[in-house]
Amino acid sequence: MAGLALPSLVLMLVINGYPVVFAAVQSVHGGGLIRMGPLVGAENYAAALTDPAFWAAARFTLVFTLCGVFGSWVVGYALALLTRRAFPGQALFRVLLLLPWIVPVVVSSMSWNWLVATRDSLLPELARALGFGNVLFLANPTLAVITVCVFKVWISYPFMMMMSAAALEAVDEQVYEAATVDGASRWQQLRHITLPVTARSTYISWILMAMFSVNDFATIYLLTGGGPVNATTSLVVLAYRAVFQDFLPGYGVAVSFIMTAVLVVVSVVLFRQIRRSAMA
Amino acid sequence: MTTHVTVSPPTVPTSVRPRLLEARRRREGWGRTLLVGFITLVALVPILVVVWLALRPRLYSGESGPTLSTFVYIFQNTNILWWLRNSLLVALTATVMSVVVAAPAGYVLSRGRGKGVAGFSLLIFVIQSFPIVVFVIPLFIMFAKLGLVDSIWGVAIVYVASSVSVACWMMSSYFDTIPMALEEAAWIDGASVFGGFVRIVLRNSLPGVLSTAIFSFLLAWNDYLVALVFLRSDLQFTLPVGLQTFFQQNATDWGPVMACAVVMALPPVLVFAVLGRYFSVGGIGGSLAGS
Repeated sequence: MAGLALPSLVLMLVINGYPVVFAAVQSVHGGGLIRMGPLVGAENYAAALTDPAFWAAARFTLVFTLCGVFGSWVVGYALALLTRRAFPGQALFRVLLLLPWIVPVVVSSMSWNWLVATRDSLLPELARALGFGNVLFLANPTLAVITVCVFKVWISYPFMMMMSAAALEAVDEQVYEAATVDGASRWQQLRHITLPVTARSTYISWILMAMFSVNDFATIYLLTGGGPVNATTSLVVLAYRAVFQDFLPGYGVAVSFIMTAVLVVVSVVLFRQIRRSAMA
Repeated sequence: MTTHVTVSPPTVPTSVRPRLLEARRRREGWGRTLLVGFITLVALVPILVVVWLALRPRLYSGESGPTLSTFVYIFQNTNILWWLRNSLLVALTATVMSVVVAAPAGYVLSRGRGKGVAGFSLLIFVIQSFPIVVFVIPLFIMFAKLGLVDSIWGVAIVYVASSVSVACWMMSSYFDTIPMALEEAAWIDGASVFGGFVRIVLRNSLPGVLSTAIFSFLLAWNDYLVALVFLRSDLQFTLPVGLQTFFQQNATDWGPVMACAVVMALPPVLVFAVLGRYFSVGGIGGSLAGS
């Protein structure tokens, strides 16, 4: 049986394992992209942890991830509930609602760019009509953060919707009949039956989405490039810039490693939660 | 709403009641269609915008109404056909490799027990946690020695690496739904572990395989970062880099940019239109949480 895991094991060790080890070595060295510099110990990590840019990026990453996880979960779960029982066109709408996730982010970032950043397009016109004057969605730091987060929710809710729909299919319909007879309101049914029964799947979808969001480069970079004035620079964007624009691979990798360490710890805590909920 | 039904007046003859109920349910059904339809419309505005801008006649073209001439223009004036070819080659190669590698690994995750399997499972989880930025530089240096930089094959290999963890989870969770008695019967009849896996389990796993394939395809098709780092020359570009470069050069001329965008969005949409009913991410977490 172990032989069946061999191809994937070899692949992972060569393409994933070796680079991680290489990167770990790189993170304790100075020097540039091609030639590694002298051993500097934990200097890159210390530099990251004392860099205000790092903490600003960490804060944005947190905001972006929380929006990505909970924003898209709320929308996705609600849509899964809404399309749960048969209605005319159910199958069609279930596929159409997945489109934001299916369409490549390169494409959707362009259309969002057109929608929010072109002077005569939909949202700026709307803002003018409502008397806000010329609203620059991607030039104002706060608005840019909000726009990127909404964009992320728009891209990610279909994934949450699929996860939730699969979990909801497993809920026994008779429970609701019994609850209705007992006089439970719809809200009570959602709060005390549906959510607890699907809790396990919900926690798992949170962990997965947290991983996807923290590591998400394209969604942010393609819409704002990390700007304006670094307001939407996440840790991954910061690491990318350090490596490929400032040619400081040691620093960039150190940033990624700190980020990954936090991500793994948070996931492990959530996994404990899952196991506890599975036992309860 | 259901309480409404239970207190309906007893004067209604019982033979009529089911028909009334059905009529009411149908009305409610159409109400739901309207609501969901409206939400869908709002959600799809950014996608409709792409199509609209691509079909809009270009300035000074003298045309009015929707036109395909912008598409003619991009096929004549950009390397989009090359980018399309490259993207298709990369995504299909990555998809096949990913399924071939992940299916047996998923089988081990699903059926195997003991420390080795637990360690394997942990390895997959840790790998998935690292951002792709970490892998990119060492792979770039490694690929430079092998002549795989600025090559679509190098990019395809990186895509396999980045989709393999989730692909393993998806395959494993599908295998969990197949009763083990089937293989055991085959083993008793003298089949090897590998034989039982291929002939019994894999043969009954078409939805799982398709699901994994669709996921890997989407990941490879939609990626931007890896292609941005590895591909340098215009004729090696995949669609994301080609399109983004074209966008930066023509940022004010939206028609051709959006026409390219339509070309790029079409393959994954077609994949979903044809195979979407097989796709399910519901099981991803099963093996993940079990680890």
